Amino acid sequence: MTEKSDKQGKLWELFSSMKLGLALLGIIAFVAAIGTFFPQISQEPDKARAVGQVWQALGFTHLYSTVWFRLSLGLLSLNLIVCSVQRFSGIYRRTFKPLPPESAAGVPRKIRAEIEAAVPVLRQAVERVMPAMGYRLTTADKEEMWTFVGMRHRWGNWGSVVTHLSFVVLLVGALLGSALGFRGYFMAAAGEVVPIQQIQIEKGKVSEDFSVRINSAEDRFLPNGERDNWYTDLSILESGKEVGRQTISVNHPFTYRGITFYQASFANGARFTADIKGQKIPVMLQDQGGNYFQAPGTDLYLIVAAMQGGSGQAAVMFQVYKGQGSQPVQTGQLTVGERADVQGQYQLTFDGSTAFTGLQVKRDPGVWVIWLGSALLLVGLMLSFYWSPRIVSGVLEMRSAGQGKLILGLATGKSGGSRHADFDALVGTLKERLTSEMATEEELQ
Amino acid sequence: MNSGLTNLETSMFYLTIMAYFLSMIFYWVWFGFKQQVIGQFATLLAIVGLAGNTTAVVLRTIIAGRPPLSNGYEFILTFCWGIVAVYLFAEFRYRIKPLGAFVAPLPFLLLAYIVMKMGPEERVAQAIPPALKSQWLTFHVITAILSYGAFAVSFGLGMMYLLKSHYGGGASGKASSRIPDLEVLDELAYKMVGFAFPFLTLCIITGAIWANYAWGTYWSWDPKETWSLITWIIYAGYLHARLMYGWKGKRAAWMAVFGFVAVLFTFFGVNYFLPGLHSYAQI
Repeated sequence: MTEKSDKQGKLWELFSSMKLGLALLGIIAFVAAIGTFFPQISQEPDKARAVGQVWQALGFTHLYSTVWFRLSLGLLSLNLIVCSVQRFSGIYRRTFKPLPPESAAGVPRKIRAEIEAAVPVLRQAVERVMPAMGYRLTTADKEEMWTFVGMRHRWGNWGSVVTHLSFVVLLVGALLGSALGFRGYFMAAAGEVVPIQQIQIEKGKVSEDFSVRINSAEDRFLPNGERDNWYTDLSILESGKEVGRQTISVNHPFTYRGITFYQASFANGARFTADIKGQKIPVMLQDQGGNYFQAPGTDLYLIVAAMQGGSGQAAVMFQVYKGQGSQPVQTGQLTVGERADVQGQYQLTFDGSTAFTGLQVKRDPGVWVIWLGSALLLVGLMLSFYWSPRIVSGVLEMRSAGQGKLILGLATGKSGGSRHADFDALVGTLKERLTSEMATEEELQ
Repeated sequence: MNSGLTNLETSMFYLTIMAYFLSMIFYWVWFGFKQQVIGQFATLLAIVGLAGNTTAVVLRTIIAGRPPLSNGYEFILTFCWGIVAVYLFAEFRYRIKPLGAFVAPLPFLLLAYIVMKMGPEERVAQAIPPALKSQWLTFHVITAILSYGAFAVSFGLGMMYLLKSHYGGGASGKASSRIPDLEVLDELAYKMVGFAFPFLTLCIITGAIWANYAWGTYWSWDPKETWSLITWIIYAGYLHARLMYGWKGKRAAWMAVFGFVAVLFTFFGVNYFLPGLHSYAQI
C-alpha cells in the first residue's frame, strides 16, 4: 500500500513538474517544425505520396495526426491539469485569505520603506491610504505590533491557472470536433440537388439526411474589373420541401442544423444532353476536365477541355477517351444547340454554359469550445501580464511614548522589481498624509 | 487623382527609407561619440520617418479602399511602422536612446529589401482574392504588427545586453558604457515580451477565427500557422524560464534574440521556403 502510494506520489510529482511541461512544449515545437518541411497528406496529398515510403511509414507525411504527436499533446494537458490542481489551493489562499506577516522579518526586504511617527497616526494613514489606492487590506493585532497585508489586482493571481487550463479547454474542443464532427466537400452545378449523405467525406460521418439545391452560382466582378467574390444561392430541402435558403460567399458561410456550408471554389461549366438510344440524360461538365461523364453501358469518358464566350455565344471543345487510353479517341467543338455523334454510341447536344460551385461542408460541435478556450487564454494572459498583483505587507512596531515605526515592503516575484513606481507612489502618499496630519495636529495644539 | 495619390505614396515611401537610413547612421554616430545634438537628430529623423511611414500607410489605405495589409509590400511597410512606433515609445518612456543603434537598422533593412527585391508591379495596390475580404484580416494583421514591433525592440535590447555583457567595462567599453545597466536592459526586454506575447496570442486567435469563416477550419497546420505556434512556444518558454526559474541575463537575452529570429522566419522564411494557405502572401 505504502509502495503503491509512493509510486503514485512519484507519478504525481513527475506530472506536476514544470520541467516536464517545458520539455513537452519543446518536443511539440520541434515536431511541428519538422512537419512544415515535409509535405503533409492533409494539405498536399500528391506531393506527400511522392515522399519516400520509409518517411511515409514513419509518419512524417501526416505528423500532426500521428499517435506520438497526439500523445505528447495529451501528456501536456495532463501536466497542465496536475500543475493547476496543485497550485489551486495556494492561489486561493493568496487571493482570498492573505496572511499578514508575523513580524518585521516577514516583510519583503528587497523593496522596503520605513516611516516613524505616532502610532495612531501611522495606523490611520495606512488604513486610509492603502484602500484609497486600490489595496485590499487584511490586518492583525499582535502583541506590541500591528501587521497588515494589502493587495491590488488580486485577480491577477489567477492568470497563470486560467491560461494553463485554457489549453486543456482548447484540446477538448479539438477532440469534440474530431469525434462528433465531419468534414466534406462537393462541387455541383447550378440547378443540381445534392443529398448531404452523398458528398465526399474527408473525415467523420454524416448522420443528417437532407439535400442541398444549388439555385445559382456566380463569379461576380466589380465595375473596375476586380473579382468581387463567388456567390452561391442555395436551398436546404427536407423531404423535397425547401426549409432554408441563403446566398453564401467566401468568408460568409451559412449554417443549417449545425452543418455549415463554406464557399470554397468556383468553376465554369457546360450543360449537355446525352441521347442514348432515345433516353435523354442531362450532363453537366466542368471546364478544363474538372469532371467526366461516362455514358451508361459504355467505356467512353467525356470531358470539356476548354470553353469560350458568354452564355449567348458559348462554345465548347470536348474530348472523348476510351477505357484506360491516355489519348482522346474523339475531339470536337460545339456551339449552343449543336449536336455531335459520340463514337456511334450516343448523341451529344450542347445546351449552354453553367456554373459550378465548390462547397466545403462541416459540422464541428467543438468549435464553441475552441472559442471559449481562446477567450480563457486571452483573459489568462491579460491577468498575468496587464493585471499582475501588487502585494504590500508591513508591520507597525510600537515604540516608547506612543511612537511607532512602520516597516513596509513590496513582494517581488522572480521576474524582478518592475513595480517600484507603484510602491514609491504608495510610500509617497503615506508620507504626504502624515505630514499634513501632523501639520493639522500642530495647528490644533 | 489616383495616380497623384500613388505618386505621393511612392514619394513618402522614399522619404521614409531615407529618414530611417539617416536616423540609423545618426544613432550609430551618437552611440560612438555621444554628441547630444547628433542624438537629437537621430530621434528627429526617426520621427520624420515615422510620419512619412504613417502617411504612406494612410495613402495606401485610401488608394486600395481597404487596410494596407494584403501583400508583402504593404505588410512590410506596416511592420516597419510598428517597429518604429514601439521603439520611439520605449525611447521616450524609458529614456533609452542607445537602443536606437540596435533597432533602427531593422526598419531600414526591411524597406531596403522592398527596394531591392520587389518590382513596381509587386508594390502596387492589387486586387485581393475573396478569402482576404474579411474584417478579421485587419485585426489579425494589426495584432501581428504590434507584437512583432515589440519583439523587434526586445531583440534590440537582447543584442545590447549581449554586447555589453561581452565587452563589459573593458577597454572597448567606451561605447558599451553608453548602454544602460544590464539589469535595466533585461527588465525592459521582459516588459516588451510581456506586452507582445498577449498580442501574438490574439494574432493567432484572430487568424483562427478568420480561417474558420473562410475555409471552415480554425487550425489546419499550415506552415505559417505552425511557425507562429512555434514562435509562441519559444516566447512561452522564455516567460516560464524567467518567471519560474528566474532565468535572466544572458540566457534571457539569447532567448529574446532567438525568438525574434523565429518571428522573422514566420514572416519571411515561410513565404519563401514553405508553401501553404498563406501562399497569397508571396513576397
